[in-house]
Amino acid sequence: MITLADYLVLSAILFCLSVAGIFINRKNVLILLMSIELMLLAVNFNFIAFARYLDDTAGEVFVFFVLTVAAAEAAIGLAILVVLFRNRGTINVTDLDTMKG
Amino acid sequence: MGFEKFLFYLFAAILVFAALRVITVRNPVHAALFLVLAFFNSAVLWLLLEAEFLAIVLVLVYVGAVMVLFLFVVMMLDVNVAPMREGFIHYLPVGIVIGLIMVLEMGLVVGSDFFDADHFAAVAAHPADFSDTKELGGLLYTQYVLPFELAAVILLVAIVAAISLTLRRRPGTKHQAPAQQVLVRSQDRVRLVQVDSEEKQ
Amino acid sequence: MDFQVPDFSLVLPELFLLGMACLLLLVDVFIDDAHRRVSFRIAQGTLLGTALLTYMQMGGPEQIGFSGTFVRDDMGSVLKIAVLLATATGFLYARDYLRDRNLFRGEYYVLGLFAVLGMMVMVSAGSLLTIYLGLELLSLCLYALVAFDRESGTSAESAMKYFVLGALASGMLLYGISMIYGATGSIDLETIRAAIGERDAGNLVLVFGLVFLVVGVAFKLGAVPFHMWIPDVYQGAPTSVTLFVGSAPKLAAFALAMRLLVDGLENLQADWQQMLIVLSVLSMGLGNLLAIAQTNIKRMLAYSTIANVGFLLLGLLAGTPEGYAAAMFYTITYVIMVCGAFGVVIYLSQAGIEADSLDDFKGLNKRNPWLAVLMLLVMFSTAGIPPLVGFYAKLAVLKAIIDVGLVWLAVAAVVFSIIGAFYYLRIVKLMYFDDPTSDAEIEGSLDTRVVLSANGLAVAVLGILPGWLLGICAAAIG
Repeated sequence: MITLADYLVLSAILFCLSVAGIFINRKNVLILLMSIELMLLAVNFNFIAFARYLDDTAGEVFVFFVLTVAAAEAAIGLAILVVLFRNRGTINVTDLDTMKG
Repeated sequence: MGFEKFLFYLFAAILVFAALRVITVRNPVHAALFLVLAFFNSAVLWLLLEAEFLAIVLVLVYVGAVMVLFLFVVMMLDVNVAPMREGFIHYLPVGIVIGLIMVLEMGLVVGSDFFDADHFAAVAAHPADFSDTKELGGLLYTQYVLPFELAAVILLVAIVAAISLTLRRRPGTKHQAPAQQVLVRSQDRVRLVQVDSEEKQ
Repeated sequence: MDFQVPDFSLVLPELFLLGMACLLLLVDVFIDDAHRRVSFRIAQGTLLGTALLTYMQMGGPEQIGFSGTFVRDDMGSVLKIAVLLATATGFLYARDYLRDRNLFRGEYYVLGLFAVLGMMVMVSAGSLLTIYLGLELLSLCLYALVAFDRESGTSAESAMKYFVLGALASGMLLYGISMIYGATGSIDLETIRAAIGERDAGNLVLVFGLVFLVVGVAFKLGAVPFHMWIPDVYQGAPTSVTLFVGSAPKLAAFALAMRLLVDGLENLQADWQQMLIVLSVLSMGLGNLLAIAQTNIKRMLAYSTIANVGFLLLGLLAGTPEGYAAAMFYTITYVIMVCGAFGVVIYLSQAGIEADSLDDFKGLNKRNPWLAVLMLLVMFSTAGIPPLVGFYAKLAVLKAIIDVGLVWLAVAAVVFSIIGAFYYLRIVKLMYFDDPTSDAEIEGSLDTRVVLSANGLAVAVLGILPGWLLGICAAAIG
């Protein structure tokens, strides 16, 4: 039988992979954005697993909204990326250190 | 080990593999495709959790729209991959250490007694005629009507923001203007000129 | 299904704001650049109208509506009015700046109004879901506004940093929310509070979730060590947007902390108090020390924000109604001072010139004595010099933490404020004792001058009569 802890551990692994992804891909904005999507997926796993094992639909409703917001967030993030690319001709983060302090 | 457990481990393994590839592959296009794989496997696992509607939405909205948008942008930007790999090796050990420590700590908590089978016994499966979609829909339009409206506003903001950031009118591009085209009268376009015939000299 | 139609009169101000924002979006499409002022006027009218509606709702007991997702109480109403007025002031200061830089577009106001809606929702949130959605509505608008100057690479770069870190913070916050949901079985703040109150079991899980929640809140507030985005965003964004990002959202972030930590998780106060102490001391220390090294006024004010967030957290971590009221007073007065400081910076920025270097303040007294006086008032107040309002705000917060026995923390806070006073006074020195580097005329429209003067004088008047606002805050926390 699959227990709640199985799902939670799976979600924790996904969450850590996404955090590690943000750390090792600091230069690559596109993969950074994908790591963030992965992080939200991990959170959604938590919510759905809890909703199932608590027999409470609120968790599923929350996932519905997280999916909506994540889609909007991806759209805006990619729009900013496009603006950045048009101005700088690159999305390489190493070239983007004009501000210091 | 029951069949369900087998399915869980199978799809969880593919999911973790796909997630690992997302953060380690060289090419953003491949990363996006691995992310799609991760979403498909998650959808299967969500089906196991009897969240049918969300599983389908994940595939339709996430794979169908968001990931396609990602691929679209990756290809449109035509990024040079090589320089972005600099530092990858440099950060890799730190990333692995941080990841492992976090997995261990989080695993200890979420795998702790609190979430074991005694506290959270498996809930009986829903009857065959239970509709997850209907249940969610009922809640969305009653109890969660305020959040629902807010989600609509967030989508509107995404439209306004994305358009106002990226829409640009390049000088010199040529457009059709159907409204003006249909208003054209024959006098504007055709001019009859009386040309005197010239005699050959 | 027992469903009652929700009481829509509770959200009347929000509905008005939403309707007007959509109207503005439509109207703006049909007007040309010569009449863009219409958009500005609609936006200002909307903000003031919403503030009036919110004021009319005030008073009376707490009302909960929309199946617990929305709460109307006096703390919310006061904060909402402060948000609306701060935004209206910011829009006014920014008008000429935007017009000079070809940024005077309707979308600026549409996104601004939607951001205000997000803040109002956060302030009135009754469940974790509405907190999250309000926060995202605000953040998404802010990301877009920071990148609003499409011609500027710096602005896009800072927007990208803001976006990545902000999204990471949202992820952390969500993970925390999911853990709290799992441990208590509800996303409703009232129910969560009751569930935590009646059992200690699962404390580890709750604290685990709490850590992620506090990380998320600290990111949004900009407390050290989660402050990395603040200096870059403040410096990179157009000054008008910096003013907006630096003012009203701080009120919303305060409300976020109040709703999550106090309304929802007050029974875990002993746990979050310790986390906040660490954040607070680090923020005050690092913020004040790094601010000294800055040569860019926007970046300096960014570090000053971080230091002030540390002070704000002091009031929260006291964990008493007096502490919360002091923190609320501190936030509101801080926002008034930020509006004044950035108002002066924007006023100095003439067409084509960004007055964002400290050198631009040299000899301001000779160029425009009144502007110098206003900046002097704001800087003295932020430094905490009596009898200006910043002094009373710091005093109230310190009193609250001394009352709960954290004397060492109060001493540390005083030491850091004295270090901090140095860089505020340096600006005063530049204005009064140095020679101007440029003698260009400083011009501005009449309404901006009037409001900026009122803004500066408010710092002095509230300082002489702090009882009024302090009383409102105490009554609102109640």
